[in-house]
Amino acid sequence: MAQRWDAAMVAAALGRAGFGGSPDEVTRVASIGWEDWVEEQLRPTDGVDSDCQRRLRQLKLRIKYNAAEKWSGVDEMRPLKTLDQPIESIWPLITKRAEMDGAERRRPRDEVIAATILRACYSRWGLREALVGFWHDHFNVDAYGSEQVAVALPSYDRDVIRAHALGNFRGFLEAVATSAAMLYYLSNHSSRAGAANENYARELFELHTLGRDAYFNDRYDRWRDVPGALRGAPEGYIDQDVYEAARALTGWTVEDGTNIDAQRKLPETGRFVYVESWHDGYQKRVLAREFDAFQPAMADGRKVLDLVAEHPATARFLCTKLCRRFIGGKVGHDTLAAAIETWTRNRARPDQIARVMRVILTSKDFAQGAGAKLRRPLNLAAAFVRGVGLDVAPTEGLANTLAGAGQRLFGWPTPMGLPDDPRMFIGTNAMRQRWALLLGLAENWWGTGVFDATHAMGAPSPHLAVERFLTGLLGRADPTLTASILSGLGMPESVSVGLQGAPDTQKKLARIAAACGMTPAFQAA
Amino acid sequence: MRPSRRDILRAGISVGLGAALDGLSPLPGLGLAFAEGNAAGPLLVVLHLRGGADGLHLLSPADDPDFVAARQSELRVATTGADAGHRIDHSPDERIDFRLHPQANALFDLYREGHLALIPAAGLAAAIRSHFVAIDMIEHGVADAAALARSDSGWLARYLRGQTKATSALTVAAAGAPSGEYLGWGKALSVPDLGGGFGVPGVPPMAQLLGKVYADAQGAVGAAGRDALAAIKLVDEHLPRDDQGKPIAYQPAQKGAYDLAGDFARPLKVVAQLAKLDVGLSVATVDFGGWDTHENQPGRFRVLVERLSVGLSAFWNDLAPRHDRLTIVVQTEFGRRFRSNRSAGTDHGRGSLMMVLGGKVQGGVCYGSWPGLKAKDLDEGVDLAVATDYRQVVSEVLAAHRGGPVAKDVFPGYAGQARLGLFRDDRLSHG
Repeated sequence: MAQRWDAAMVAAALGRAGFGGSPDEVTRVASIGWEDWVEEQLRPTDGVDSDCQRRLRQLKLRIKYNAAEKWSGVDEMRPLKTLDQPIESIWPLITKRAEMDGAERRRPRDEVIAATILRACYSRWGLREALVGFWHDHFNVDAYGSEQVAVALPSYDRDVIRAHALGNFRGFLEAVATSAAMLYYLSNHSSRAGAANENYARELFELHTLGRDAYFNDRYDRWRDVPGALRGAPEGYIDQDVYEAARALTGWTVEDGTNIDAQRKLPETGRFVYVESWHDGYQKRVLAREFDAFQPAMADGRKVLDLVAEHPATARFLCTKLCRRFIGGKVGHDTLAAAIETWTRNRARPDQIARVMRVILTSKDFAQGAGAKLRRPLNLAAAFVRGVGLDVAPTEGLANTLAGAGQRLFGWPTPMGLPDDPRMFIGTNAMRQRWALLLGLAENWWGTGVFDATHAMGAPSPHLAVERFLTGLLGRADPTLTASILSGLGMPESVSVGLQGAPDTQKKLARIAAACGMTPAFQAA
Repeated sequence: MRPSRRDILRAGISVGLGAALDGLSPLPGLGLAFAEGNAAGPLLVVLHLRGGADGLHLLSPADDPDFVAARQSELRVATTGADAGHRIDHSPDERIDFRLHPQANALFDLYREGHLALIPAAGLAAAIRSHFVAIDMIEHGVADAAALARSDSGWLARYLRGQTKATSALTVAAAGAPSGEYLGWGKALSVPDLGGGFGVPGVPPMAQLLGKVYADAQGAVGAAGRDALAAIKLVDEHLPRDDQGKPIAYQPAQKGAYDLAGDFARPLKVVAQLAKLDVGLSVATVDFGGWDTHENQPGRFRVLVERLSVGLSAFWNDLAPRHDRLTIVVQTEFGRRFRSNRSAGTDHGRGSLMMVLGGKVQGGVCYGSWPGLKAKDLDEGVDLAVATDYRQVVSEVLAAHRGGPVAKDVFPGYAGQARLGLFRDDRLSHG
C-alpha cells in the first residue's frame, strides 16, 4: 500500500528516520512515496553519495599546538586523514606518544566528529546516519576519557558501527567485543584469569543485550530461581552470570605492547588479539548453560555472545529502543510485536537490522508519530542546514555548541550512552544552546561558512523569506507563525515591502532563517 | 518493560533555587517565586559521586586482617610509611584502625574540627550492582525495583512540593537536564558555568522574537522555552558586570582555593556563585564522575580523592558566612567489591561511605554500625554489607534543612531506621 504524504508529513518523517531533508528531497519523497524511500535507504552505497564524499575530501579541519622540545609548532588547516586508515597505521599515535603533541592523538577523534556532522548534513543516506548515531549511543565509548579510544575511534566508527548498522546483531556484537575502542573503554583489555574484570561483561548484559529489566538482582547466585532456568531458558540474568561471562571473556585484548611473560610481548598495532595464557579456561555456567573446561580459543566468549544475542529479552530490549528512537510518538503493542518477531525470525540473516527497520518505519505508529520526536542537537543542526540550504564546513566551535546543547559527540562518559530522553535536551541551558546553534550556523559564528541566501532568493520581502524558510524546514508555512516571527523580529508584515537596496540583506536573511529554525515547531520532527 | 521511565545519567550539575520566606515576587513564565534578600537562607547541596565510589579505599579498615588478605596493598590505605592514611577517632569499631585516604587531608581536617560526619557501610537497602538501576532508585527515593516501576518523581521534587510556603527550584546541568531527584518538579534551570553570562544568544531582537514565538506554544517544548527565557532573565540580571556590561568572572572568597579540584571545581563554583547572588538558592545537586574504577584504581583514586577533598573544603570555606545554614550530603550508587580484580581495580559492590558536612552537623564521628568483613558478614560473601540505608541519612538532613519532620511521601514506604543523630539542632528539637 503506497502512502502519499504531504510535504509537512514527509519533512517530519525525514527528521525522524534521518537528519531531515532539503526542499527538493521532500518533494521527491512526496512523489515516490514513503515506502520507496525506505527501501532505497535500506541499501546505502557510498558510490552514489558524491556530494557528501566530495565534501569529506575537501574538508579541512584546523589543528594547532605549540612547539616543544621534540616537535615544532603547528597551526594549519589539515584535510581528514585518519578516516580510512587501518588501526595499525594510526596506533603509533599511542606508541610514539612522547614524540608529538596531544592534539595529534586527539586528531582521529576530532576527524570522526567533523565527518559525523558533515554526513548528518549532507549524506543522501540519512537513515544509515541516523542508525549509526543510534548504535554509537547503544555501544557507547568515550573518546574524551581515553587516548586509546580517541585513536581507535575511526576504526570503531567505520569497521564496527557503520559496517554493521543495518546488518546482523550477533556479528555486530562480536565486532564490538573485539574492538580496541570497547576493549579499552570497558577495561576488558586488562581482564585476566584469577579475578576477571567485570566491567564489559556487566554492560554487555545490562546495556548491550538483555537490558536492565532482565536483571534479577535479588537472585544473585541462585540461578535455579530464575524463571525458566531449569529448562535451560532463564528469563533474565543474575550477578553470577556477569561474573562468569567476565571469566569467559578473559584473554580478549588488544595488541598494545603488553608483556605476556618474561620472553613474550604483544606487538603494538591496536588490533584485537586473543591471549590464551590470560584466559580462564575452567568450567563456567552462563544463563543456565554449562561451559566445559578448556574449550578452543575464544569459544567461551563466543558462546556468551551467542547466548545473549539470541535471548528473547535482547530482542525485546533492542526493538523497544529502536522503536522509541525512530517512531517518536506512541509505540503500539502491534508495532513492537512485529519488530520483535522480525528481529527473532531473522537472527541468522546478514540484513537482520535492516528488516526490523523496514517494519518500524512503515508502521502506522511511525506515520502517526509526526511532530512527536524532539530533535537532538545534531539532528536540529543538520535538519536546519538541509532545510534552508546552508554550506557548512564543521569546526570545533560548532562541535562545542552541540555539546553545550547536550550532545558531545563521542564524549558521553558512562556506558549507557546519551539517553534518548527529550528532557535531556530542553533544560534551560540546553534551550539556550539550541537557539545559539541555529543562530550561530546562520550567522557564521564559528567559521563554518557564510550563509548567503540572496543567491537563491534575491532580496525578497521578509514575509516571503519567512514563508520560504518555514516551508524548507517544516514543509509548510503556517500564517500565524509567519506573522509571529515577523512581529518578533520587528520586521514589516506586509508582503510587498522588500529588502531591496538594503546593504545588509544577506545578514537579515540569515537572521530570518535562524528565527524560523528557533521556533517551537522546528524543535521536534 | 518500563518504556516511559527515564534513564538518565548526567555529567553535569543541578541547582535548585528556592525560597520559603516572606516578600515573594512572582516570576512570570516560570511560575516561581523568589525571596528578595534571601541569599543567606538554608542551602542543601546533594553531591553524587558517579560510578560507585570505593568507600573501603576512601575510609579503610586498614589493619583488618580479612581486608588486608583480600586486597592488594595499593587498593588499601596504609597504616605506616610515607603514604600512611589519616587515622580517625570515633570510628565505628574501635578495635580496627580506620584511616582516611592520604589525599583526604582537608576532609580529615573537617572531620577533626567537627564539621564532617562519616557514615560507613551506607547505601541502598536492595542489592543492586547496576549503576543505572541503583542511580534511578536513589534519585527516585525508592527501595525496590517494583516501586521504581511505579514511581514518576524524584525525592527532591516530592520534598519541594511538600513545602507549605512558596518554595521553588531551578535546575542547572551541563548536559541540559535536571538531575533525577527533581523529576516531577519541572521548573528547572541548567547552567554549566556562568563565565560568559547567561543571556539569550544573539542581538536583542532575538529575545523579543523568542518571547513571541514561545508565548503560546503548546507542549513540553513551548513550556521549556518559556521557562528558559524566564530563568535566563533572572540569573543574567543578577550577574555582576563590568563597565562594558561584560559579566565579571566569579571570584571565590579565597583566590585559587579550587585550583586543585580539577573538573569538580566548575560546578562547585557555579553553586557558590549562585548562592551568593540574591536569587534565593536553597537546593543544589552536583555530580562528580569518574569513580567507576574497574582498572588502574590506585592512581585514579588518588586524583579523585584529592579533588573531592580540595573541592569540598574550598566550597566550605567559600561559603563561610553561612555555615550555620549550609549542609552538603555526599553519596554514591554503591561501593566496590571487597576483593580487587587483576586489573588493579575493583568491580561493583554494595556498601560505601556517605558523608555529611555542615554547620549544624555533629561531626568528627562515624555514624551507623559496622557490619564487619568476615565472610559471614559480607553481603553474599563478597561485598561490604549495607548497614545504614541512605534514606536515613537524607531524612535527617532534610529534617535539619527546614527544621521539621520529613513528609512520608518523600521516601514512600520507608519506616526509618534508628535515628543516627547527625545534627545538633535536629537532635535538640526532635530527639
